[in-house]
Amino acid sequence: MRTRYLVAFAQSHSDFRLPELQSISELHDFHIHLPDEPDTSRPFMVVELEDEKHAVILAKRCILIKSIYEFYAQGETYDEVHKMNRSNRHLWEKYIPNTSFKFNVTGFNHTIPQRRQRDVIENFAYMDFRGKIDMKNPEITMACFEEYECRQAPANGLPRKRCEDDGSFKEIFFGRLIVEGTARQLVGVFDVKKRAYFGNTSMEAEISLLMANQTLASPGKLIYDPFMGTGSMAYPIAYFGALVFGSDIDGRQMRGKGKPPGVIRAATQYGVASKIIDLCTFDVTHNPWRCGELFDAIITDPPYGVRAGAKRLGRKKELSEEKKALYFQHSQSPRPDDQPYIPPTKPYELSNLATDLVLLARYLLKPGGRLVFFLPTVTDEYQEVDIHTMMCEGMEVIANSLQDFGSWGRRLITIRKTSNNKYLPPAYRPVAGEAENAHVPAHRDFREKYFQGFNKDGDSLAA
Amino acid sequence: MVRLVTHNLLACHAKDCNTNNFPLVFQNVQLEIREAEFNPGFIQSFLPKIEWNALVKTAQELGDTSLPIDQPEMIDDELLKNLHHVLFEIHIVEGAMICPNCKHNYPISDGIPNMLLAEHEIA
Ligand SMILES: C[S@@+](CC[C@H](N)C(=O)[O-])C[C@H]1O[C@@H](n2cnc3c(N)ncnc32)[C@H](O)[C@@H]1O
Ligand SMILES: [Zn+2]
Repeated sequence: MRTRYLVAFAQSHSDFRLPELQSISELHDFHIHLPDEPDTSRPFMVVELEDEKHAVILAKRCILIKSIYEFYAQGETYDEVHKMNRSNRHLWEKYIPNTSFKFNVTGFNHTIPQRRQRDVIENFAYMDFRGKIDMKNPEITMACFEEYECRQAPANGLPRKRCEDDGSFKEIFFGRLIVEGTARQLVGVFDVKKRAYFGNTSMEAEISLLMANQTLASPGKLIYDPFMGTGSMAYPIAYFGALVFGSDIDGRQMRGKGKPPGVIRAATQYGVASKIIDLCTFDVTHNPWRCGELFDAIITDPPYGVRAGAKRLGRKKELSEEKKALYFQHSQSPRPDDQPYIPPTKPYELSNLATDLVLLARYLLKPGGRLVFFLPTVTDEYQEVDIHTMMCEGMEVIANSLQDFGSWGRRLITIRKTSNNKYLPPAYRPVAGEAENAHVPAHRDFREKYFQGFNKDGDSLAA
Repeated sequence: MVRLVTHNLLACHAKDCNTNNFPLVFQNVQLEIREAEFNPGFIQSFLPKIEWNALVKTAQELGDTSLPIDQPEMIDDELLKNLHHVLFEIHIVEGAMICPNCKHNYPISDGIPNMLLAEHEIA
């Protein structure tokens, strides 16, 4: 039997809400029934679950869940709410005789004056709860939310000034608190500023955690970050129980200064050092993996050129034979400090990189495994087809969430390997002779566009 | 670090080095044994990816002879424990890995191997 639950979301990353709900229910092997046309821009959503335990699992793991309620009623007016609530009497009548309780009335995007809060509560008097009111430790908490349209432009979600337009809410939701979300506190736990090792490429904690949830990280899984840098996503993944491999073309990103390597120091701080299986220095386009189908997930923030440029081994121009001989000599006498020879690198165009990454993931992922990565893109120019230009047979996009920075943005893409076939590693060659009228994805030459301010003045230096 | 599970998954990838390029041979190594959490389920499911002969040979070169030369069909608890130790608890902290074919030297420092190739070694 399915029961309805009211999910209250934290006010951030609204585009990431549904993918997270879906990933965590898939990870724990239960079904979540979503509304037919879910509006993720809204802070409340009524979903159906087969078991209250599933609500608890979601609240423990989803970074974007503030709390979950047993759903009793919703409506654009209180008349509608009370009507529905009465018709759902069977859900709450067991609390009538002897259950201590409290009532919360809260506005979203709005502060409801105390007086009217009391009125709202009094209008639920027909529920006739006989237990004592207990504000500190009630057995049940009833919650009534009034959702207001966000008026001025407070994208930061601050409540509107005082009580203006009190009562002009968009919708009301009513239910009984099941569980407060506990995963959100991890955002503080993994705060980059409090980390033993981080750098200017470190990914903010909340996004790293959301990415980790998209990988379905859990004990017994092996997850790989091929652009490891300072390892931001490795820590949440390891915290969720998975084993981690990391590699980077620049060993200094993973080492930092001092010993042990920075990534290990940070992992130690979080108690997950033993989950970091190994770190390796190599160019992912010239990688030493002996075989494919190794990983349950690949999670990565590819170098898109704003802070950490994409590069690959090689040179734009070939060297003369003498120079080659010199380099050869140099490379024959390595020093053991990770700098036996620093090979030259050449730029790696983002749309090639993205295509290669999907092919690499298809090779390295186990069947059913996931690739989770960011794709920066110029918001105005972005089209759905951008992702499809980099897709290949056997891989399927299952989530695509925008993080909007104004004139640019980035999309968190989750791709599942749907095929059981064995695939070869990618050839890492730019697509030769592209048709002239072929679609040019908006992330092509992202770096250049970024530094040109996307041909506009303004907020292009958001990073 | 460089645990043997990692070592077992890496092959020399220099240009035209396609045969006899695995397993890489450890040289001048400095070992550390670090206890790791026992995860029998993971070992069982990952075993098909492991090249048994390479693992046994490498473990022996590092002084661990706990694994049978021929891969047993039945995996008992003792074998799982030994595999756990060999795959996850032996760490190579310093030294190098040498390609048996082209002799490329992949140095290891602070547990991180440098697998970068030189210019003439990339395809
Ligand atoms: C955006 S950063 C990743 C940051 C990382 N998530 C962190 O927490 O610091 C991209 C990384 O990719 C690395 N990189 C660039 N080109 C590469 C290549 N061809 N192969 C492997 N790593 C590469 C850079 O050295 C950089 O550390
Ligand atoms: Zn070789």
